[in-house]
Amino acid sequence: MRNTNVETAPLIEFTHVDKAYQKQFAVHNLNLSIRAGEFFVLVGASGSGKTTTLKMINRLIEPTAGTITFAGRPLVDQSVNDLRHQIGYVLQDGALFPHLTVLENAAMTLNAIGVSTKDAKPQVASLLDEVGLDPARYLNRYPKELSGGEQQRVGIVRALVANPQVILMDEPFSALDPVSRKQLQDLVLNLHEKRQTTIVFVTHDMDETLRLGTRIGVMHQGHLEQVDAPSVLLQKPKNSAVSKLFLQQHGHTVSDVIAHGYYETGNGDEIPRVTVEQTLADLAQALLDAPNAAVLVNQNQVITQALYLEYMANQQE
Amino acid sequence: MTSFINFIQAQGDTLRNALFTHIGLSLVSVALAMLIAIPLAIALMNHPRLGEVMLQITGVIQTIPSLAILGLLIPIVGIGTVPAIIALVLYALMPIFQNTYAGLTQIDANLLEAADAFGLSWWYKLFKIRLPLALPLIFSGIRIALVLVIGTATLASLIGGGGLGTFIMQGIQNNNNTELLVGAVCSAALAIIFSIGLRLLSHLSLKKLALVIGLLIVGLGGAFGFQAYQQQQHQEVVIAGKLGGEPEILMNMYRELIQQENPKLKVTLKPNFGNTTFIFRALQNKQVDIYPEFTGTVLQNLYPEKLKSHNPAQVYQQAHQVIQEKSDLTYLKPMAYENRYALAVDQQTAKRYHLKTVSDLARVSPQLSAAFENDFYHQQDGYQGLKRKYQLHFKNVKSMEPSLRYEALKNHQVQVVDAYTTDPQIKVQKLVVLKDDLAFFPPYQGAPLVRNELIKRHPEIQKSLNRLHNRISESEMIEMNYKVTVKHEKAQRVAHEYLKSYRLIR
Repeated sequence: MRNTNVETAPLIEFTHVDKAYQKQFAVHNLNLSIRAGEFFVLVGASGSGKTTTLKMINRLIEPTAGTITFAGRPLVDQSVNDLRHQIGYVLQDGALFPHLTVLENAAMTLNAIGVSTKDAKPQVASLLDEVGLDPARYLNRYPKELSGGEQQRVGIVRALVANPQVILMDEPFSALDPVSRKQLQDLVLNLHEKRQTTIVFVTHDMDETLRLGTRIGVMHQGHLEQVDAPSVLLQKPKNSAVSKLFLQQHGHTVSDVIAHGYYETGNGDEIPRVTVEQTLADLAQALLDAPNAAVLVNQNQVITQALYLEYMANQQE
Repeated sequence: MTSFINFIQAQGDTLRNALFTHIGLSLVSVALAMLIAIPLAIALMNHPRLGEVMLQITGVIQTIPSLAILGLLIPIVGIGTVPAIIALVLYALMPIFQNTYAGLTQIDANLLEAADAFGLSWWYKLFKIRLPLALPLIFSGIRIALVLVIGTATLASLIGGGGLGTFIMQGIQNNNNTELLVGAVCSAALAIIFSIGLRLLSHLSLKKLALVIGLLIVGLGGAFGFQAYQQQQHQEVVIAGKLGGEPEILMNMYRELIQQENPKLKVTLKPNFGNTTFIFRALQNKQVDIYPEFTGTVLQNLYPEKLKSHNPAQVYQQAHQVIQEKSDLTYLKPMAYENRYALAVDQQTAKRYHLKTVSDLARVSPQLSAAFENDFYHQQDGYQGLKRKYQLHFKNVKSMEPSLRYEALKNHQVQVVDAYTTDPQIKVQKLVVLKDDLAFFPPYQGAPLVRNELIKRHPEIQKSLNRLHNRISESEMIEMNYKVTVKHEKAQRVAHEYLKSYRLIR
């Protein structure tokens, strides 16, 4: 069971944060609390500001306005390296150093806090095991000998091995094939359940978002539109920006029914209406409630129960 | 091929010394350039604008001709190894800086971002991430620099720095192709060997590499330093000479005469000075003590004055006086022969136009081409004045290296050359020396220029060198030059034989 009970004091807090480049805002008036132990997913289209937001947490990018605190302390109050030693980081391409072995790569975050590669070996080995890579076979290999999925696993080991409080993940599985992606998502869910490390995860993939996140932040053109649990987001999207995101990714709304032609023309007075953006669940409920088992969409498009059932029967899942 | 091998056997010692000097110069220069360029690139890797500026500067330095740099350095740091190394270091800077800088700045941005995100110290980021990733490019930069330097180091010989260039320069001067080839082939072989060696080194890890380089630098520096120290300690008298067989013969005569009187004195020869300016500056800067100079050159080049007459004895007096008045040097007594300038033509041309004097030549000059040696071309007592006096209007005139003009004459590319009256090529190519009927050319008698301080320390040197007063006729000099330059006999032996035959030495 995924643990959604978390401490109330936020681990990471953004207050009125802006990131402006010249006259453009990459992020505007961002207010966000991330609680310890949760799996927080930031989702949005390209250019929505989600990666910028992520990178402001470990100060790879500095805000142009507002404050960000980590464990109660403003980021600017501590040294950058001290901060980064407490925050793990996984990038999209794995970013393993080609001239170093798997062991040397993975041990790097421990090197950063003064642990020698030799001393780090046992921890690295056990973590490699946890992510499904046999240490005996992988410790002394070089990144170019590994597949994309294997490289990313090493990247995760590298992020975890120093036991940070938070791990930031920037679209880590986007470059992988669907099978590897699913495997790695399982892995990350597993690790989260075992360790309860706070994870801040950035992606543009809706399915991934709904699968992984305990809480989801939807970003659109630099603004944080809505932050809620997955089910709430699905049922109660705050505005069209949010629902459009789901719409674009899922396609299972009333508009799809209309698009496939399951309607007839009629006059619009006495029957209840639904909008094209509403989900099929909404549609079904409305049809159940309607006196004539028919609903009106737009000016003169009518969907009857029978048509709806036909649509469903012909759906290819 | 056999003459190649014979030469190497005969000159084995000299070749070995030259090789070591050459290797030493090259390695030390590249090592120093690395010490400057690599930290500089590291310092500028995060400052792209400054980095660009630096790239431009090192690029410009590369385009300055090496001889110019050498000439500029001599009054400041003297002759020999130091200016050679400075010039070579300047040359090696660009390839090393450029490649190191490119290697450090062209690393995948994601990797650099990851390194930042892990909170790694700047030391770690530089030595464990950036430098190792940049290493292949840095290495290729060093290889390029090394090959470049080995080639350029041949110039060191012109300013008394030694090295394989000695063979090349002397080979050109004495028309000895074997000598030239030995110098050139060895130099090329060195470049190849080092290039391969570096490639093998590049497979080592960074730590082992640093060790090897460290050892090399210490070893070389030590050897060099020791050699320089030894030279300093034991050096008592340094005799220098310009490029050519005749100065070499004279230098050897001076040495034997001095050591005969004073056997305990250590006398070193520094031959092959590329031009008058270099050698005179070296004398003034106390890097050398003695060298043979011509009366004409004293009054035209060193302390230019209008000649009071064209009588050789009076010209000598004038030169002697100006040296005494204007410098810390003494001009000792002159030898008998004169090595004047003259114009010479090949037999064919002489017959064709019935040429006996320079005036004869002037009449047909628009139909002829000429090649003159550099000093002659530019001097007032050379072509510049001669042109006006005789109204010469050659079809075209070039200036070139002394021995190359004889080649041009042989190939009928030119018909007229300047020549020295003791030039053995006159004998070899059976040239016709034209009479200077308007008495334009000034006298050129040879005598030793010596530092006063040396005479004070060892007054007997004056007596030793003055034994050559009024000795050596023009034909005797031509014969000796012929033996050394054409028949490739050793200058030391020819000098010795002469001195012995006249009982100037026991």
